Amino acid sequence: MNSRILPTLALLVSVGIFFAYVQPTWSGPLAVTKASIASDDRALAAANTYTMQQNQLAVARNAIDPRDLTRLARFLPGSVDNVGLILDLNALAARSGLTLSNIDVITNAAAPAKSAAAGAALSSAASPIGSAELSLSAVGTYAALQTFLVGVEKSERLLDVQDLLVRGSDTGVYSYRMKVSFYWLR
Amino acid sequence: MDLPPTIPTSFVPRSTFTSARRKFRSDFTDVFGLFAYAVLGIVFALALGIFFYGRILAGAQASKDAALAKAEKAIDPATVRGFVQLRDRLTAGQRMLGNHIALSNFFKLVETLLPANVRLSTLHLTLDTTKKVRLEGSGVAKSFNALAAVSNAFAADGRIKEAIFSNIVVNRDSSVSFTLSATLDSKIVAFSP
Repeated sequence: MNSRILPTLALLVSVGIFFAYVQPTWSGPLAVTKASIASDDRALAAANTYTMQQNQLAVARNAIDPRDLTRLARFLPGSVDNVGLILDLNALAARSGLTLSNIDVITNAAAPAKSAAAGAALSSAASPIGSAELSLSAVGTYAALQTFLVGVEKSERLLDVQDLLVRGSDTGVYSYRMKVSFYWLR
Repeated sequence: MDLPPTIPTSFVPRSTFTSARRKFRSDFTDVFGLFAYAVLGIVFALALGIFFYGRILAGAQASKDAALAKAEKAIDPATVRGFVQLRDRLTAGQRMLGNHIALSNFFKLVETLLPANVRLSTLHLTLDTTKKVRLEGSGVAKSFNALAAVSNAFAADGRIKEAIFSNIVVNRDSSVSFTLSATLDSKIVAFSP
């Protein structure tokens, strides 16, 4: 009788160990740890890829002339800075012989439809580019207007004349009204 | 008549059968015992293996977590932001330069196409959402022939499209007032550095 009790007990203990420790540990904490390690592996691979790409990008950026990078930052500044722009336009008008009589900023709530013409989908919410319009009124000769227009077109900061109204007179001094779009990086 | 219990009822030897059953029972007990202990040994080994495997995995995870934290620390958000801004500037700048407007080219063209005896008194250039420039204006020509010459010049050049002269009025001094509407070829107002 004793010779059967001990093996039966051993079997019961085996079943107990298996279902109380082996199986729950394998499918529980061990599975979680393995999944976590796999996730860490993927993140480490991504970090390695990032480091490689960062190095490549740094090499590419260093290959660009710093003066060009500065010009690019002026072309599309990191802030609206419309006051600085108005000062620049005033200076340009003075150099061109044009007298500015009124400058106003039209905020983007009214401007997106127009400015979209220059930059396709620039004014969409996902776009990194912001835009607004400046409304200018001026008087001056036709030659002064041409000089001013060329200055605006070749401005270091990107400016697009969206609307231009010219009214002539017999004196040779015309009056002008224009809307100029300007842009910045959000 | 009843047989006395000492007299066997069968001729088959009784002792042979009993010993075979005993042998079978003993063999079965041995095999069952062996099997049970083997199962216990295997399960015990499994449990030990899982315990140590868990320790090894925990160690591996700790080292990978540390490596990941180090890699994350090496990522500088300012550098990333700088790269993203540079990319945005380059891609958006290229696209915007491609769409940049230069209305001064139009004035140069008008100077060549308009004869001296035709004068524009108002001129309105508007860029619409499809990047087309519309021209609305009014002016005075010295004569009807001068206005016809302008119309022909616009048609021959082809860059001032759909030019419509309307509200044509012949004044007392035989000059002709008119209004003009047209669209401009996008090539005229395209910026070229």
